[in-house]
Amino acid sequence: MADVPTFIAPFDEMLLPDGAARPSHQDLCTAIADFGAKGLQERATQRDAYLDRHGITFTLGERERPLPMDLIPRVIPADEWRRVEAGVIQRIRALEAFLADIYGPGKVLAEGLVPRALITTSSHFHRQAWGISAPNGVRIHVSGIDLIRDEEGRFRVLEDNLRNPSGVSYVLENRRTLAHVLPEVFAHHQVRSVSEYPLRLLEALRAAAPVGIIDPTVVVLTPGVHNSAHYEHAFLARNMGIELVEGRDLYCRENTVWMRTTSGPEPVHVIYRRIDDDFLDPVHLRPDSVLGIPGIVNAARAGNVTIANAIGNGVADDKAVYRYVPRLIEYYLEEDPILPNVDTYDLGDPDQRAFVLANIERMVVKPSDGSGGYGLVMGPSASDAELTRAAADIEAEPRAWIAQPVVTFSTCPTVVDDGDVQPRHVDLRPFAVNDGTRVYVLPGGLSRVALPEGSLVVNSSQGGGSKDTWVIADDVAAPSPSAEDVPEADNGVAVAWPPASPAERANSPVAHDDRLIQQERQQQQQHEAQDDGRKGAPSAEVPPC
Amino acid sequence: MLSRIAESFFWLGRYVERAEATTRLLAEHHQLLTEDRSVPDAVGCAVLLESLGLPDTGTDTPRALVRAVVGSEADPTTISGSVASARANARAVRDSLSQDTFEALNAAHLAISRGIAFATSPGVALHEVLERLLVVNGIVDWTMPRDEAYHFLVLGRELERIDMIGRLLAMRHDLMWPSSGAAAALRAAGALSPFLRSGKPITGVNARHFLVLDSTFPRSMRSCAADAEEAVRGLQRLGVSDGSLLLREVGMLRSELEYAGLPETEGLDRYITESTEAATRATNEVNRAFFRQHGTVVWSH
Repeated sequence: MADVPTFIAPFDEMLLPDGAARPSHQDLCTAIADFGAKGLQERATQRDAYLDRHGITFTLGERERPLPMDLIPRVIPADEWRRVEAGVIQRIRALEAFLADIYGPGKVLAEGLVPRALITTSSHFHRQAWGISAPNGVRIHVSGIDLIRDEEGRFRVLEDNLRNPSGVSYVLENRRTLAHVLPEVFAHHQVRSVSEYPLRLLEALRAAAPVGIIDPTVVVLTPGVHNSAHYEHAFLARNMGIELVEGRDLYCRENTVWMRTTSGPEPVHVIYRRIDDDFLDPVHLRPDSVLGIPGIVNAARAGNVTIANAIGNGVADDKAVYRYVPRLIEYYLEEDPILPNVDTYDLGDPDQRAFVLANIERMVVKPSDGSGGYGLVMGPSASDAELTRAAADIEAEPRAWIAQPVVTFSTCPTVVDDGDVQPRHVDLRPFAVNDGTRVYVLPGGLSRVALPEGSLVVNSSQGGGSKDTWVIADDVAAPSPSAEDVPEADNGVAVAWPPASPAERANSPVAHDDRLIQQERQQQQQHEAQDDGRKGAPSAEVPPC
Repeated sequence: MLSRIAESFFWLGRYVERAEATTRLLAEHHQLLTEDRSVPDAVGCAVLLESLGLPDTGTDTPRALVRAVVGSEADPTTISGSVASARANARAVRDSLSQDTFEALNAAHLAISRGIAFATSPGVALHEVLERLLVVNGIVDWTMPRDEAYHFLVLGRELERIDMIGRLLAMRHDLMWPSSGAAAALRAAGALSPFLRSGKPITGVNARHFLVLDSTFPRSMRSCAADAEEAVRGLQRLGVSDGSLLLREVGMLRSELEYAGLPETEGLDRYITESTEAATRATNEVNRAFFRQHGTVVWSH
C-alpha cells in the first residue's frame, strides 16, 4: 500500500513552476494582464449585473443567487481534451455494460468480480428496476464524470454522476456571459462551441423512445420551482422546445403515462426526469412522495415510457463501487482504463480500515451514497471533534463511507475580491450524452472552483464558483466561407439586396436637404422671437422680396 | 389629421422599430463573432454592414463593427441615427404623444448621445439601449388611443419589420456559421425560444421558414403583413380618403404569405425578396396617398 503523500505543490494550469505562462496559455495570460486589477473589477460588476438581470441562478436554502462565475476562462488544449473525451466515453460504455448486467443476468456478481453484498447494500440499488429493458440499450442518457488533475497534471476521475448530474446550463450560460462582458479575451482563441448541447440531448432522448413510437413526446420532469436546480430544468426544457412538467401534470392509466393539457390527455413517451429515484413512484419507491407519478414504474416495465436516466443508476456511481470501475472497464471492454481513479481505501478490509483510522487527519472521508459535498470530512482542515466523529462513523458502518488520500488538485488563476488574480483549486465535470450509437462529450464542461484560499471543496452547495471552460479547436479547421459565396441562396439565385434605396428609408423631417434646413432655421428663429418678444409678429420672418 | 402629423407618426413607428431591430441584430452579431471564431472578422463584419446598407470601410474587428453600426446621428440607417430620427419625429408630434412615450424615447436618445460604454462592453451597452426602446413600444401599446395616429405608427412599424427581417435573412447566417448560425439568426429576431417551442429541429431552412411564414410569431413577415393590413383597414374605418391601392398592396402580400404553404428553398427566397419589395412599394404608396405635400415656395436663398 502506498504511503499517504505529504504536501506536494499543486499543478497550476496556466503557469509553469518557474512562473512563466505555459505555451497554451500565453495569449490568455497577456489578455488578462492587459486589464489590470481595476479593469477586472469593473468587468466583475458588469458580470454580476448581467447574471442578475438574466436570472441565471441556483437556489441555496431559501435564497436564489447567481452561481459565481470567474472572469478568467479555463483553457484545455486540444490534445489534452482528446484524452479526456476518450476516457469519459470509455467509462460510460463500461458503466452502461455494468448496469445492464446488474439489472439483468448479474454475471459480474456471479463471477465474484464485485461482491454481491456491495450491490445489495447500496441504497441506490432498486430491485424494482430489475428486468426493465432499455429500448436502445441506454440507461445513462446523461452523465457528469467529475475529474481532477493531480500534482503531475494527470486527469483522474474523482467520482461518477450517473443519476441527475446538474450544471450543464451554467456551462452554456457561462460562455454567453463571458462573451458578453469580456469579449476581448476571445479574440486569439478558436474555442469549440457548447451551444449544440440541448440539441444533442433532445436527439438522445428521442432515440430512447419506446419501440414503435416514431414521433415521441419528450418532457422534462422537475420537482418544482423550489428545487435548487430549477433554473436548469427550465433552461433545458426551453432550449429543447419541450414541456417542463411536474409530477402533478402527469398520471398513469393502463400502463401509459399521460400529460394533462387544455386539449385533453396526451401520451408521454420519454421523461427526462430531474427528480431522484426515491420520489419517482410512491407505489414502488418512497410511499410518502408527492412529487412522483403513481404507476410510472409499471409503465416503464410495460415498455410504454422511457425514464431517463434509468431508475437505479445510482448503484454504479456509489462511491464504494467507484473503486471497481477500472476493473469493470477491463472486464467488459477488455481495454486499459484511459483515465485513472483517485486511490481509494476499502473500509470493509480490516487492514485498510486500520490504516485509514490511523491516518485520518490526512484523508478525505466521504459518505458512499452522498453527493453535493454534504457530509464530507476533509482531514487536514477538520477539527479533532470532527475527526473523532468520522472515525466513530467508519467503525460503526464501514460500508457507508469511503476514504481517499487528500489529492491536491490543480489550480487556475482566479479573480479574487479585490480584482487581484490568485490560484484557486478547480475540478472539471464534462457532460456526456449517450444516444445509443455514440457518446457525445460536451467540449468543455463545468469547471468548478473553490473560492476560499486553499480550499479543495468546489461544490456549489458549499460556496464554490465556476469558470467558463474552453476546449481549443484542433488546428485542422474546416475551410471558412468567404464573403463572396455567402449572400447566394441555396439554389444559386442571389437575393436582391438592398431592396430599398437610402432615400426610401428616411422621411423628410430629418432628410438634410437645403429647403428643410432653411425651414428648420426659421422655426428656430421664430421660437426665439416668441421668447424675447422683441422681433415682432411671425410675419416679420417672411423674407423680403 | 394633418398629413404632416400622420407622416411623423408613420416614421416614428419605422425608426423605433429599426433602432430596436438593428440593436438586437448588432448585439447578437457581436456575440456570434466573439464566440464562433470560424469566420474571419473582416468577413463577419462585412456581412452585417452590407445587409444594413452601411458602407464598409475596412471594418475588421467586432469593436469597430459596433462603432460603425451605432454610427452617427446623421445617418438614419445606423442605431444612433434611427433613434435620433425617431426622436425628431416624436418632437414634431409631441402634443399628440403621451408624455411617457416621449420621455422613454428621449431617455434612449440621451443614453446613446452621452456615449454609454459601447467601446468597453458593447454587449451591456446595447442591451441598455434595447431595453429603453422596448419601453417605448410598450408605452405606445398601452397609452395610445386607437386613432389614425396609432394606425399610421403601426403601419410604419410593420413595414419596417418586414424590411429588417429581410435584411437579417439576407445575411445567410446558416451558410456562414454552419454550427451556430441558425440559432444566432433566430436570436437576432427574438425568435429562438418561440421557434424551439414549435418542436422543429433547428436548421437553417427551418429557421428561415419560421421567420418568413410562421403564423403565430409576431415578427414573422407573414404576421407583420397581416398587422399592416389591419392598420390600413383601421385607417379606412376611421374614414381616410384614399387607401385602396395601399390596402391592395399589403393585402396581397398578406394573402400570398398566408397561403404560401411550405415552399421549397427557392420559393422561400422569392417570398423574402417579394415581401421586402412589397414593403417598399407600400411605403411609396403611403407617401403618395397621404403625405404628399406641395413644396414650399422659396422666394430667396
